[in-house]
Amino acid sequence: MGSIQMYQLVLFLSVLGAFLAVSTLGDNSAAAYWLLRVKSELIDPAGVLENWSPSSHICSWNGLTCSDDQTRILGLNLSGSGLSGSLSREFGQFTSLETLDLSSNSLTGPIPPELGRLQNLRMLLLYTNYLSGKLPAELGLLKKLQVLRVGDNMLTGEITPTIGNLTELRVLGLAYCQFNGSIPIETGNLKHLISLDLQKNSLNGLIPEEMHGCEELENFSASNNQLQGDIPSSIGMLKSLQILNLANNSLSGSIPIALSRLSNLKYLNLLGNELSGEIPSELNQLVQLEKLDLSRNNLSGTISLLNTQLKNLEALVLSNNALTGSVPSNFCLRNSNLQQLLLARNKLSDKFPLELLNCSSLQQLDLSDNRFEGELPSLLDKLENLTDLILNNNSFSGTLPPEIGNLSKLENLFLFDNMITGEIPVEIEKLQALSVIYLYDNQMSGQIPRELTNCTSLTEIDFFGNHFTGSIPATVGKLKNLLLLQLRQNYLSGPIPPSLGYCKRLQLLALADNKLSGSLPPTFRFLSELSTITLYNNSFQGPLPTSLFLLKNLKIINFSHNRFSGTIFPLSGSNALTALDLTNNSFSGPIPSMSRNLGRFRLAHNHLSGNINSIFGQLTELKFLDLSFNNLSGGLQPSQLSSCTKLEHLLLNNNKFKGTMPPWLGSFQELGELDLSSNNFYGTVPAELGNCSKLLKLSLHSNTLSGEIPPEIGNLTSLNVLTLQRNNLSGSIPSTIQQCKKLYELRLSENFFTGSIPSELGWLTELQVILDLSKNLLSGEIPSSLGNLLKLERLNLSCNQLQGEVPPSLEKLTSLHMLNLSNNHLQGQLPPTFSGFPLSSFLGNAKLCGPPLATCSESVGQVKKQLSETEVVGIIVAIVFTSTVICLLMLCIMWRIWCHWREVSISSSDGGGIEQKREDGKRVYGDKKIRRNGEYWKVNSMALVSSQDNKPNSTILARIFHLRMDSEAIETTLF
Amino acid sequence: MASLPLFSVLFTFLLSLAPAFSTNSEGNALHALRSRLSDPTNVLQSWDPTLVNPCTWFHVTCDSNNHVIRLDLGNSNISGTLGSELGELKHLQYLELYRNDITGKIPKELGNLKNLVSMDLYENRFEGEIPKSLAKLKSLRFLRLNNNKLAGSIPRELTGLSNLKVLDVSNNNLCGTIPVDGPFSTFPMESFEHNRLNGPELKGLVPYDFGC
Repeated sequence: MGSIQMYQLVLFLSVLGAFLAVSTLGDNSAAAYWLLRVKSELIDPAGVLENWSPSSHICSWNGLTCSDDQTRILGLNLSGSGLSGSLSREFGQFTSLETLDLSSNSLTGPIPPELGRLQNLRMLLLYTNYLSGKLPAELGLLKKLQVLRVGDNMLTGEITPTIGNLTELRVLGLAYCQFNGSIPIETGNLKHLISLDLQKNSLNGLIPEEMHGCEELENFSASNNQLQGDIPSSIGMLKSLQILNLANNSLSGSIPIALSRLSNLKYLNLLGNELSGEIPSELNQLVQLEKLDLSRNNLSGTISLLNTQLKNLEALVLSNNALTGSVPSNFCLRNSNLQQLLLARNKLSDKFPLELLNCSSLQQLDLSDNRFEGELPSLLDKLENLTDLILNNNSFSGTLPPEIGNLSKLENLFLFDNMITGEIPVEIEKLQALSVIYLYDNQMSGQIPRELTNCTSLTEIDFFGNHFTGSIPATVGKLKNLLLLQLRQNYLSGPIPPSLGYCKRLQLLALADNKLSGSLPPTFRFLSELSTITLYNNSFQGPLPTSLFLLKNLKIINFSHNRFSGTIFPLSGSNALTALDLTNNSFSGPIPSMSRNLGRFRLAHNHLSGNINSIFGQLTELKFLDLSFNNLSGGLQPSQLSSCTKLEHLLLNNNKFKGTMPPWLGSFQELGELDLSSNNFYGTVPAELGNCSKLLKLSLHSNTLSGEIPPEIGNLTSLNVLTLQRNNLSGSIPSTIQQCKKLYELRLSENFFTGSIPSELGWLTELQVILDLSKNLLSGEIPSSLGNLLKLERLNLSCNQLQGEVPPSLEKLTSLHMLNLSNNHLQGQLPPTFSGFPLSSFLGNAKLCGPPLATCSESVGQVKKQLSETEVVGIIVAIVFTSTVICLLMLCIMWRIWCHWREVSISSSDGGGIEQKREDGKRVYGDKKIRRNGEYWKVNSMALVSSQDNKPNSTILARIFHLRMDSEAIETTLF
Repeated sequence: MASLPLFSVLFTFLLSLAPAFSTNSEGNALHALRSRLSDPTNVLQSWDPTLVNPCTWFHVTCDSNNHVIRLDLGNSNISGTLGSELGELKHLQYLELYRNDITGKIPKELGNLKNLVSMDLYENRFEGEIPKSLAKLKSLRFLRLNNNKLAGSIPRELTGLSNLKVLDVSNNNLCGTIPVDGPFSTFPMESFEHNRLNGPELKGLVPYDFGC
């Protein structure tokens, strides 16, 4: 209490003193007062400011540095002191300060503008705090400032242009803030600036040309901003520049040749911009360059950079561009320092660049995702320092050279997605440092060499998608560090070696799609880290080792399509299990209770038995449940599955389940597929199913369901497939089914449906696979609306009691290729286009006629437009009579024409021309001047005769035609 | 700063891990399709690329060998474009993408779907020409491209589709004449109406792309 009162007293007394700057320590108590004011705004959990107390001289206070005569405070250094709170305005009182270092604390709030009063300040370090607000313009008043580092804060706004007044500045650090706006052109005034760090802000706009004014600049880092435009050539004037980092901006244009003048440059990073054009070969003049990264741009052309010129180069990264050609022939320098050469994801082509074999210092070589082809050189072992050989996604062919075994430092070998053939050389065993070997998606063959298991540093093996044969090496257990073993899709045979169980760190084991056999070794119980095991599509058999129950980290198990037998209990031990697929095995016995995290549970096509009560109550994550094709029995008890509210697929078909279908099936809001078919369910179809609005496929066929289809079926507006055939359903087909607009398959056959076919079925215009209503008791006429089902390919209405005619609208069903209307009471004429369907489509309809059935004339008496026999005879006689008359008439006319033609042809041949008989009158006319003899008249008269005859002739023909049409019309009405 | 190239290597490593586990071409093709489509009603939500095959995805139907034979995305409110990857579905029989808002060209790679029976792309916003490559679909029975914005002429190569039973290209922007050979002799005029077509082909007299 006493001390607080004293503070208040001091506070009161020094109102006047507030106007006086504490430049000297002439008045120790005033300086102490201001320092304690500063302290009062700081939170000091570590007690660093504990000795800041009026009882001692301030020069003994932590962090304070005084002048030798203890008259002036020169420095305040509280870096890394765990301080939080805000920066006091009263810092402005300490005008004698030369160094203020509050970096690496947790300070918040703004930088007080009053700092601009510290005229003697040379070093201001506020980096790594949580300071916010703008950079105060008043900082531009600190004429003596040499080092300003405020990066790694939450500062926003533009970088104040007054920064250009700090002409003594050597180091300006503004990185890792949220500054926006552009780099102030005044930066160019900072003639003595050595380091400018603007990385990781939101700066945009151009890099100012004026930057060349920073004549002494050695480090210019502005990566991870949004800078745009060209890289100004004036940067080439920064002769002292050693580091230029403009990575991850939006800089465009080409790389300025002027950069080649930066003769001291050691580090050049332009990755992740939009630079285009070729890489200027002039960059080869940057002889000091150690690291060059131009990756992730749009650079094109060939690689012109040469290690033989860039003698100090350690890393060259040109990945993710559009570079073409190959590595230049004089690229490598003997005894160079080049360690990293990354050329991935370009358009480089040609064979493996042999030139690279001279770069013996290379440690990492990445040529992946290019268009390299041809064999890998056997002299690859000249790259004796190689740790990473990354050649994936090319078209390399040939075999893996045995010399690869000499790359004794190799750690990562990536050859996947190539066309490599042949065997893995046994020399691979010499790679004692090898950690990752990815050979997947190649065409390698032969056995996996036992010698591979001598590479005991291996952590990941991926040989997926090759042609490896033989068995998994029995010594695989020597790979104690193995985390991943992926051998899927090969031709491996034989059993899993028991020693595999000794790869105790194994997390992923994928042996699927092979020809492996035998049973799982009991040593698998040691694979306690195992998370994923996929063995599907093999010939494994026998019961599972009981000890698999001990594997508590298993998340994904897929043993489907094997011949495993016995109980599945050993797979129920892990509470981490999310997916279990045992489809198509010979597992038997009951289903045990499983992990609560299970999302996919597939046991179809086994011999599992018992009921499923008490199994699923807690499986709240279950999305996919497939128990189809087993011997499961019992009923579906209330609340048994009802907590599985995330269920999307529920497949219980082809079992021996019995009882009624529970109404709670309607509570599965996510259900898309429900298949309860081929069981012994009875009772009605629960109306609650209409609540499963996402249902796409509903299969309840082949049970003994009875009653009517609930009209709520119409609520299933997403439904694609509805199969209810082979039940005892009755009543009429509900017209609400028309709302299931997306149905493409509808099967209601083999039930006892009565009434007529609802015409609303004609609105299901997406019906495509089949509409099957056969084997019911449907009556009435076929609704003509079915003619709207333009996409329907199969229509089966057979074995009902349908009456009436086949509606002509069905002719519109042009997609139909299976039609069955047989065994009904249909009658009348079939639409003509149905003649292409087989006879069997229509049999059993006594009164139906027309192709392919017998023609309707035989049953003329039943036709609506009846004609008496005498009328028929009369018509026939009339037809015969008129056709005879016409024929005679035509014969007569033709005879006459022929006669005249003969005359003409004779006369024209007389005229010496080789005229053809079919010359028309006009042509003959035109020749009249040449022919002056009597034939001219004859020709003309013939033309006259024929032209006179022409019209009646054509009318007669037209009449004949009409008559034939009439008779046809009669025929069509007859049949 | 010196660690930047090292990051690149690390990046390569991470990239390479992904293909090690995703291995089915049909699932990859469908997943690539999904990435092109905008799906506001989440009909493609179940398309999980990490599964062994796409046979348990909704709107995808497989045969007993786990090959995709049906793709049913009609009336699904999807938009976006189709890509060449659909050509990977070598066993596909039914491609039902009707009544959506799909734009862009019909990929020529659809001609690789050797087993396709039905291609229903009607009522979308497809543009560009009908690819000639569709003439390779020797099993095709139903080709419905109506109500799109297709332009150009009807490729003559389609007359070789001897199994084609239904063709509908009405309500597009097609030009030229209508082929008369092969299955085209059986298609009704309604299949061609509301285009800029100039009536049936008159062979030898008028080029088939007359008026294009």
